[in-house]
Amino acid sequence: MATTYPHGTHKSADDPHVLLDDEYGQYEPIPPYPPRTERELEFYTPGDGEMYLNMGPQHPSTHGVLRVVLKLNGERVVDIDPVLGYLHRGVEKLCENADYHQTISQLDPLEYISSLFCEWGPVIAYEKLLDVQVPRRAEYIRVLSGELNRIASHALFMGWFALDLGGLAPILYSFIERDEIVEMLAALTGQRMLFNYFRIGGVNGDLNHDFLSRLGDWMSRAGKQIETNLALLNENEIFVRRARGLGTIDREAALRLCMTGPNIRASGVPFDVRRAHPYSIYPEIDFEIPTRSEGDSLARYLLRMDEVKQSLRIIDQCLEQMPDGPIMAKLPRLLRPRPGRAWAAIEGPRGMYGAYVISDGTDQPFRLKIHDPSFIHLQAVGALLPGHLLADTMAIMASLDPVMGGVDK
Amino acid sequence: MDRALRSRLQARFGLELHGEIRQRNDETELRIGAGDVVDVLRALHDEPAFDFAILADLAGVDTGREMQVVYHLWSQSTNDWLRVIVEGLSRDDPRIASATFLWKGAEWMERETYDMFGIVFEGNRDLRRIYMPPDYTSFPLRKDFYLADDSARSPGAGVRHMERTHSPAEAGEAPLRSGTGT
Amino acid sequence: MTAISRTWDQLTLPGKALAILVPLLLFLTAGAVITILLFGGIVWNAILDHLEIVRLFVAVLAIVLIFIPFAFVIIYMELKIIARMNLRIGPDRVGPWGSLMSLVPGLKVLTKEDFTPTKADAVVFTWAPVVVFATSVMSALVLPFAPGLFGADLNIGLLYFFAVGGMTVVGLLMGGWSSFNKYSLLGGLRSAASIISYEIPLTLSVVGLIILAGTMSLNTIVEQQAGWFTNWYAFRQPLAVVIFFIAATAEANRTPFDMTEADSEIVAGFATEYSGMRFGFFFFAEYVNVFIVSAITTVLFLGGWNAPIELPWHVAIDINPGAYGLGLLFIIALVPVLGTLILAAPIYAMRSKTRWWVALIVGFVLFNVVAAGLTLLWAYASFDVVAGLLWFLGKAFALVFVFVWMRGTLPRVRIDQLMGFAWKWLLPAALLNLFVTALAVIVVQQWKGGL
Repeated sequence: MATTYPHGTHKSADDPHVLLDDEYGQYEPIPPYPPRTERELEFYTPGDGEMYLNMGPQHPSTHGVLRVVLKLNGERVVDIDPVLGYLHRGVEKLCENADYHQTISQLDPLEYISSLFCEWGPVIAYEKLLDVQVPRRAEYIRVLSGELNRIASHALFMGWFALDLGGLAPILYSFIERDEIVEMLAALTGQRMLFNYFRIGGVNGDLNHDFLSRLGDWMSRAGKQIETNLALLNENEIFVRRARGLGTIDREAALRLCMTGPNIRASGVPFDVRRAHPYSIYPEIDFEIPTRSEGDSLARYLLRMDEVKQSLRIIDQCLEQMPDGPIMAKLPRLLRPRPGRAWAAIEGPRGMYGAYVISDGTDQPFRLKIHDPSFIHLQAVGALLPGHLLADTMAIMASLDPVMGGVDK
Repeated sequence: MDRALRSRLQARFGLELHGEIRQRNDETELRIGAGDVVDVLRALHDEPAFDFAILADLAGVDTGREMQVVYHLWSQSTNDWLRVIVEGLSRDDPRIASATFLWKGAEWMERETYDMFGIVFEGNRDLRRIYMPPDYTSFPLRKDFYLADDSARSPGAGVRHMERTHSPAEAGEAPLRSGTGT
Repeated sequence: MTAISRTWDQLTLPGKALAILVPLLLFLTAGAVITILLFGGIVWNAILDHLEIVRLFVAVLAIVLIFIPFAFVIIYMELKIIARMNLRIGPDRVGPWGSLMSLVPGLKVLTKEDFTPTKADAVVFTWAPVVVFATSVMSALVLPFAPGLFGADLNIGLLYFFAVGGMTVVGLLMGGWSSFNKYSLLGGLRSAASIISYEIPLTLSVVGLIILAGTMSLNTIVEQQAGWFTNWYAFRQPLAVVIFFIAATAEANRTPFDMTEADSEIVAGFATEYSGMRFGFFFFAEYVNVFIVSAITTVLFLGGWNAPIELPWHVAIDINPGAYGLGLLFIIALVPVLGTLILAAPIYAMRSKTRWWVALIVGFVLFNVVAAGLTLLWAYASFDVVAGLLWFLGKAFALVFVFVWMRGTLPRVRIDQLMGFAWKWLLPAALLNLFVTALAVIVVQQWKGGL
């Protein structure tokens, strides 16, 4: 049966990608094959006075190896076509060929900024499949370390965002917090960034003295120091003027774009998985879901900074209510969940991290689908950017806070 | 577990459903055929009784026998995640209607599913490869695509090329792993 | 023949170089001596006849040479100050406190491959950095560094400064256009747009000052600001200072107006495709520009070489070495030794671990520092040039610090905000300043005339 796939007509041998020296510069960065889709045809048909600008994969501020092709009219961006795959590792395929415990370490590098959240979703999904009851102490430790990781991630976001707006200093100030937290988590988990800490049925190690003393030190001054760092940007006229009204998206459009996390809450949708579908011990903890209605980059930035304060509250409560007990459920060494499907979603610093697991009764997941918010939010850049200036490309992208490790899986 | 949702779904989509609506933990699962996707999703999204405004995830699944597309939805009206499994897509020519008319954000999810499984979403304006290079010809997440160091695990237990080109027209019966997905 | 060629082959590379260089130098020396003997008188007479032109050549050479260390100092300042502002240590390996760090990229740039892209317009591409660098140095020609220390005292000095300074944009556009790179092109166009826009408020803000001063000669303007610091034009034209400084920041393409090389947007702007010494020229010109902009602000508004306070007494230390006779010999012989010993003794006595020779070395260094300080003090008190130069450089580098400070703290503005600010705020403000100044001058003149 002959099937025509949209890509099927392309013969790579006839259309070499590499341009010869004397051909160089004669072409716009139109792909050297005929347009395969309606959208590609539309994008690569230049209008009057429009030109293409290729940004990346090597560019000072694409947050990793992202390539975007911009269609410009002067300095004004008409359209954008992100080209992904430079960091694609096929994590889902690798997970299908590893057993349930091994997948956790495969998932860590997905979002290297906040890797606890990449572990958390799949771990909950596995636990659902196995019908495991996680000890309460383990749940508290998960929430505690997760919220710390959230603060670290938001601190880095603040620095990045300022850097993409041309401010050099904030990133180094925000690294005060991030470095402290990362060292703290290293004391807890043994690794600075790729923690590999959550286990099916609990966590890998109990709270230790080093971690607790560092945490105590930090908590005693964190609030004040974060306020100081925020003053660096929040009271900066140039920063506020540039971020306000930048990449505005309204409630309906944000929902249509499947956005989640701080990005959709900045548009007025109070969707936070911690409250919408509570998991772990979040129902027992008192915290607020900050929401804003402006939907612009400034709102997204301020909302993340509000979240940091809520995270501090959560950490306080976790430390107060921390129960004693085991940190791991009793589980066999080799896990063979009965055949079935499970979906778990958690609220990470960038939005909803989902995991969809299908078990076929063997010791390996039959299918593991990772839902990564960075991927979704990078797609939203295409809707936010047109009409803005070239200078705002990176700022808008930074305000959505994608991590290329998560985008490219 | 939201029993009410089950009965509401049963009442509304009684004709379209394939088999029972299953509920486990905080998930409600319903199965439909590829022809009913548009109607079911539109009803779930638009009707105030359901109001599933958020598309949490779109996943492709290759069970070895057939292709499936799985939607996870969230609504304020229920405590459950709703999982819509579209089953019965042929492995040779999997085709399904796109969900981009409801969620523009499904566009890249569908691109990813197309890239990984070769499932064609009709109505998606931008259905091209997203991770793999444009001249790539296989679909890596299909079950007949083996990793190089995984050949010992494969049913044939022989050495295979890392990127075995999958051409649906020539493909014989796909090798199955024992006990496919439920 | 064979003997010579065999000998030549046996020579090592330095040997070969010497074998060529030594005869060549001998030949050139002989030629020079003969030339001077034959034509020396004529040349000398010609020099004496056209002293002004020769002076100009010497001044240009001197300015080029002076600006090399200035640029290195400013680069070092930027590295170190921004590092401290960013909670970093900054360079600390090369030289004491990393002070030679700025030489390292300089040397690196010199040794790198000078690369021209395939499709670049080679001629324009080659000359663009030269144009940028040349205009920077040319505009420095009219700067009065100290009383009597200036390249040229043009009676239209200010006009010349703005005219030549505005030519920088030509070089940037040349670089941006010829690179055959869209980032470069955008950078070049951005610089053209911003510099041309800011040229207008920049010039207009100074017109009020020209009305007050009645001259465009920079020397005269500085001389008018002598005396107490209240005489500075900054206090008579407060609005103009602000406008001038902001516009000058944009002119020098510095943060927050560094659109032309916004690294997070257009990589490096017009300099994206440049490498090697051509990039070095751009880089160098940028920092020279920072100094020149600071210097011109100092000259126009902050009193130039004048001290901020006018001492009621005049210190003049008149040292006549001849009067000491033979005692001078003893002083020269004894003072360093005694000074070193006196300074070394407490170090040796206080710290038990110090070896005697270490103490002596430290003492000698300290003595030199003290001697240099005393000499400087004497020179400051005795010579107007030294005092003027110190004040001028002090003020100029204080402004350079402000530039570095801004770079350390402020984000970048957007191109439309940049243009809007120039046309909607700076230009009306500059016009208002001009109007008010002109009105005030007329009123004062009428009033005086009426009396």
